[in-house]
Amino acid sequence: MTEPNERARIGEELAKMQAEPLLPIEKKLLAWSLIAGLVLLAILIWTGNSALTPPH
Amino acid sequence: MVQQTATGENVALSPQAPLISEDWLAVGTGLVIFLLALCLLAGVDLLGWATAPRTWVEIGKSVRQASPGYGNYGSFTLLLATYGFVLALLSIGAALLGVGIVRFVLGFSVIYWLSYLAWVLGNYAYIAVTTPADMQRLAIGWSLRLTGESGYLIALLLGLAIANFAPPLARWLSEAARPELYIKTAIVILGGFLAVKAAEQLSLASTVMVRGLAAIVEAYLIYWAVVYFVARKWFGFSREWAAPLASGISICGVSAAIATAGAIRARPLVPIMVSSLVVLFAMVELLILPFLARSFLADQPLVAAAWMGLAVKTDGAAVASGAVTEALLYGDAAARGIKWSPGWVVGTTTTIKVFIDIFIGVWSFILAYIWTRHIEPRRAGDELRFGEIWERFPKFVLGFLATFLLVLGIGLASSPAVLKTVDGAMAQANIFRQLFFLFTFFSIGLMSDVRQLWQEGIGKLAAVYVVSLFGFVIWVGLLISWLFFYDIMPPLAG
Repeated sequence: MTEPNERARIGEELAKMQAEPLLPIEKKLLAWSLIAGLVLLAILIWTGNSALTPPH
Repeated sequence: MVQQTATGENVALSPQAPLISEDWLAVGTGLVIFLLALCLLAGVDLLGWATAPRTWVEIGKSVRQASPGYGNYGSFTLLLATYGFVLALLSIGAALLGVGIVRFVLGFSVIYWLSYLAWVLGNYAYIAVTTPADMQRLAIGWSLRLTGESGYLIALLLGLAIANFAPPLARWLSEAARPELYIKTAIVILGGFLAVKAAEQLSLASTVMVRGLAAIVEAYLIYWAVVYFVARKWFGFSREWAAPLASGISICGVSAAIATAGAIRARPLVPIMVSSLVVLFAMVELLILPFLARSFLADQPLVAAAWMGLAVKTDGAAVASGAVTEALLYGDAAARGIKWSPGWVVGTTTTIKVFIDIFIGVWSFILAYIWTRHIEPRRAGDELRFGEIWERFPKFVLGFLATFLLVLGIGLASSPAVLKTVDGAMAQANIFRQLFFLFTFFSIGLMSDVRQLWQEGIGKLAAVYVVSLFGFVIWVGLLISWLFFYDIMPPLAG
């Protein structure tokens, strides 16, 4: 259960939040995610969406 | 008593423990309506009394029943029958959820009739009519050409007005304001409706599904990483806040924020706060994006449909945006003399949203793996299990697949005459689907108390949301939708 005063404390917590540096594993996750997304996008465009050709 | 999380998930504080989750309840409720409608195949008309608005000029002629066979009962009786049926069905569900039944019945009755009123108003001829022929038939000189679906927006605005101008009433209604339950039920029913369209145009339906799957994988991989980076690096959020925030903003709002928070073992309040923002911004998107699509994507309805699925958060708001977009684009096309087969825009948006819901489970599992192995290793015996994918799997998707595959199978294996009967059955079920859409819109509005959110000091969260959503997510979603759905058109009606 979330009481209103608890939610108000969260507001304070957000305002005072200390920055945590990005860990190597986080950087790796971001890099792999973006690379996978962009490479997949390039492959789909490069193949001309041949597997996805719409009916005309 | 109920604690409203503004997430569409109400945390029941009643004495009884829930016997069923909202997800499974949506499956059950949707299947009951679907199966009753399907009895038409056996020649038994069980839902023909269901009453919905039609385009009207005189209020006395504003509603009609699904089947002419029930015409002798009179509109008022059938209106009450429709209300009674939905109330009974959802009251059983409320009892299974363990919520206070009296307060649910009272609250739901208010939501039902205000939503229905919005539906009727949305079908007023001066608001809804789209074609010159209909204007001539109804003897009116002008129309806003918003179609009857504008009733959804009226319901949303009604809910929003109550939330912000009458908060005590909004809190009193909160027991029955369950947008996630309503939209999931609607999606289960929608499965059968879409399957009829798919059976008629199997090749196009396959294309939409394959492209939708490709689009959401693309979107998730790119969106999540960028939003997480923005939250962590630019706004200095901790991991506990940044991961649910990235999932909430980037793809599927409430469900994703909750699943991600569970995966990284964040405190329960974190997804609740994120979800409050998600609901608020989803409503803003719902009011803006369909009209942007009308201005810029009038000739690319399925690009617009995919865009709604990728850009608008929460199942309810996304599918609702698809419905509004379809109404606007189809209305404009009808005025130009083009009549597309109904259901393809909302169907494409729903397909994308359903794929996203499935993908959330997989993504949460990946995050759980990374967090438990590398960021916050767990204690012995608290190992990650593959069963968690199933636990996080949105069960209502099974209901959607069941209705979709059953009707598709019947449609492909039977004659055109039988398919026509199935079409009629799904049209009856569709009345209830539209009702559940209306409840969803109304409930989303009801949960968007802007002042309360601001008082809770979540301006910094909102700043990440604004920067990511309007600076990146919406436009990348548009680009991906364009790449995958450009020039794929719905079939012409008839």
